[in-house]
Amino acid sequence: MQLSDKNVISDMRSAYGKALVELGSDSNIVCVGADTTDSLKTKLFGDKFPNRLYNVGIAEANLVSIAAGLAIAGKVVFASTYAAFLPGRCLDQIRNAICYPFLDVKLVVSHAGLTVGPDGASHQQIEDISTMRTIPNMRVLVPSDSIAVKNLIPLMRHTPGPFFMRLARPSNSNIYEDNFDQFDIGKSNVIKDGSDITIIACGLMVSKGIDAAQTLEKEYGVSCRVIDMYSIKPIDVELVYRAAIDTGAIVTIEEHSIIGGLGSAVCEVTAENHPVPVNRMGVTDIFGESARETEIDALLSKYGLSSDHIVESVLKTRKKIKK
Amino acid sequence: MALKMRYLELNRKVRDARMLAIQGIAEAGSGHPGASFSAAEIMGVLYFHKMKHRPSDPLWEERDYFINSKAHSAPGFYAVLSIAGYIDSKEIKTLRKLGSRLQGHPVRYSERQKNHSFPGIEYSGGSEGIGLSVSIGIALAKKRDGEKNRVYTLIGDGESNEGQIWEAAMAASKFRLDNLVAILDRNMIQQDGFTEEIMPLDPVRDKWAAFNWNVVEVNGHKIEQIIDALSRIEKVEDKPSIIIANTTKGKGIKHMANNPQWHGKAPPKKHVPILLEELQSEILIAPSIIAGEPENYEEKVRRAERAGADLIHLDIMDGKFVPTTSFFADTIKHLRKISSIPFDAHLMIEKPVNHVEDYIDAGCDIVTVHVEACNEMEFVEINKMLLKAGISPGIAINPGTPFPSWLIEHLDNIDVMIIMSVNPGFAGQKFIPESLDKMAGTVKILKSNNYKGFIEADGGIDATTLQQVFDAGARIMVAGNAVYGSPDINSNIIQLKHKANVAIETKLLELATINDMRSDWIKSRKNMLIPLARELGIEEDLHAIK
Repeated sequence: MQLSDKNVISDMRSAYGKALVELGSDSNIVCVGADTTDSLKTKLFGDKFPNRLYNVGIAEANLVSIAAGLAIAGKVVFASTYAAFLPGRCLDQIRNAICYPFLDVKLVVSHAGLTVGPDGASHQQIEDISTMRTIPNMRVLVPSDSIAVKNLIPLMRHTPGPFFMRLARPSNSNIYEDNFDQFDIGKSNVIKDGSDITIIACGLMVSKGIDAAQTLEKEYGVSCRVIDMYSIKPIDVELVYRAAIDTGAIVTIEEHSIIGGLGSAVCEVTAENHPVPVNRMGVTDIFGESARETEIDALLSKYGLSSDHIVESVLKTRKKIKK
Repeated sequence: MALKMRYLELNRKVRDARMLAIQGIAEAGSGHPGASFSAAEIMGVLYFHKMKHRPSDPLWEERDYFINSKAHSAPGFYAVLSIAGYIDSKEIKTLRKLGSRLQGHPVRYSERQKNHSFPGIEYSGGSEGIGLSVSIGIALAKKRDGEKNRVYTLIGDGESNEGQIWEAAMAASKFRLDNLVAILDRNMIQQDGFTEEIMPLDPVRDKWAAFNWNVVEVNGHKIEQIIDALSRIEKVEDKPSIIIANTTKGKGIKHMANNPQWHGKAPPKKHVPILLEELQSEILIAPSIIAGEPENYEEKVRRAERAGADLIHLDIMDGKFVPTTSFFADTIKHLRKISSIPFDAHLMIEKPVNHVEDYIDAGCDIVTVHVEACNEMEFVEINKMLLKAGISPGIAINPGTPFPSWLIEHLDNIDVMIIMSVNPGFAGQKFIPESLDKMAGTVKILKSNNYKGFIEADGGIDATTLQQVFDAGARIMVAGNAVYGSPDINSNIIQLKHKANVAIETKLLELATINDMRSDWIKSRKNMLIPLARELGIEEDLHAIK
């Protein structure tokens, strides 16, 4: 595993914008935005290809449905805005206009989870993985850094049918080396191997998992396997199964409700194939709240999403392993 | 402006679509007859006339797109697609059943959905308010790529409750989509009741105009008005267009018409034969403007149209084939400018083969020549010219002329046969009773040769003779003096329509009686029949029901 050893900070949205520009030499690629093109960095694509970025204003249902029409006309469409409203506001359109007819529409949203910050709970989308995962034909990707974004965008483009990719707002330390390219739909990456328990994380929570694993190893002598589950649907069944067999317990962590997201997806695999204790960490069926950008870590901690919380969860969960 | 629509054939195909749809709905035991019928002419005009499409090559790159946003009209949509050649008509019987390609709401065709759809369906409808936005996406892609494809979208007035319709309204004008046409099926009824009670949509015209759309309003059951509007729209640049098609939900079956109860209900299967008969019984009134006071043709056309005439019958007499002279192509050309109502030109002239071009140019929609005025070769030549020009060809036969056997092999190319019930040449003649037998005999020959066109009765048709010629098989009624013989043209047409109504109801009642469901039938359309009770002789039946 080529992990980033330097502390390189980057943001996923810029990686998305740049990846789009790269794809843009293909005139079949078009982009639709909803008054958030600057924020989502799709404007980078629009600046280069002004005839292929369409801004529909603050109208998410229209955004998704127009994207469907563009796909019917043969385009590969990237539609983007904030996660709070896409899918928050247009589940019906995503289901009926895109997933049902299996159209080439890639929904890439940002500002998912609690880390939106000051905007508060109305903007903190914590149900999207759950809602998107349950729609037939939809695939769900949650990259952990800009390197993952850079690799997954072309993969989505070349894989027919609908996708949902959720990005977080803040910049974060890169997980992967610049030239790392081992990504595939339905796969995941073992960031760190270990034998006593497995931490399965997605998005910004991957780095929390890595931090926790280091603490656990140093201070408690617990060997943790850490998996970046960037593809939640389809999920890497094989790797989850192996984690259950090899380590006997799993802790999942996601910046999302504990209902229906990564944790649920992992439980579905273990329950059916090799039941082991799984502790689902995430937002515990409550709404979030505002926090200034400097308070993001404190906010996550308040809602149980810090590396300390993971350490605690791992120690508790390990006790449940049947000897 | 000539609409080149082969009017009568189009009219027949729309009728066939209604017949197919109601059979499918009855077989399924559920479905939406109301919307299927209110949008029948709209969808028919698009698929049988307006759109560029190829049933044999549904993915043809140059095709126009039809997005059925208000997908409740699914049975009607499938019926239209069947008649257009996309599927076999027998498949309509699988509608809404397990494993059918005809799902309750149409599904966009793809390899993945090949068991639930068929090639030609572009859009998965069912959730209201989405299709117009999807159409914008298609139109936007085509426009930016410099392609000529046009996008037609059927939306509903109930559907217009959805906020997304108005998101789309803004976006289409922002993107200046002059390749996008929305058609609003304004039938005034939604599931819970009348639209203006549930969620008022008026002033709907102003709303769309305010969103910077080009707005045209038509009678959505008048084929010619829809076609005329669609043609005019093609010239509009930089703006999307919407046709507000004023329609009647359930149009075609009287007890379903404008009745919210029939939004999504299937008729009992045993009623189907009677319903099919009703759909085939529609009577077109064709006032003949040479009757009544001389000249003043413009006014006669206008007033007849306003009073609900279906066609305008134009008697062209040359003083040679018939003893009198009426008017010629130049007059028709002039009249054409004032209305899009179909012009039914009846050429009572010698050597029509030499003149038919003039009547094509003048903007006639139906051109009928006399069997007595041409031989088979000339007829074939005329027929070719008419079909090429998109005009419904007709043939007329005088009371004394035997049915010419050479006509038989040309019946597929004849849209109307005028059976004269007077000797032509003068207005105001008396109906020749013997012509009824002749009509019945001719209809027999035609039916046995699988003739699909119309029978038109011409000569002395009025309130006293209409029912007889209807019973003999006529569905187009030329009415001269009966319309223009007295000044109140409006009442005269209403009177004829009333008689037409009585004729139809009598026939349906007979059929119900034969099929042993007389009281059931009377019960199902009681409210329509009460005003006709005396004329139909059903006072006692009604009393028994109460």
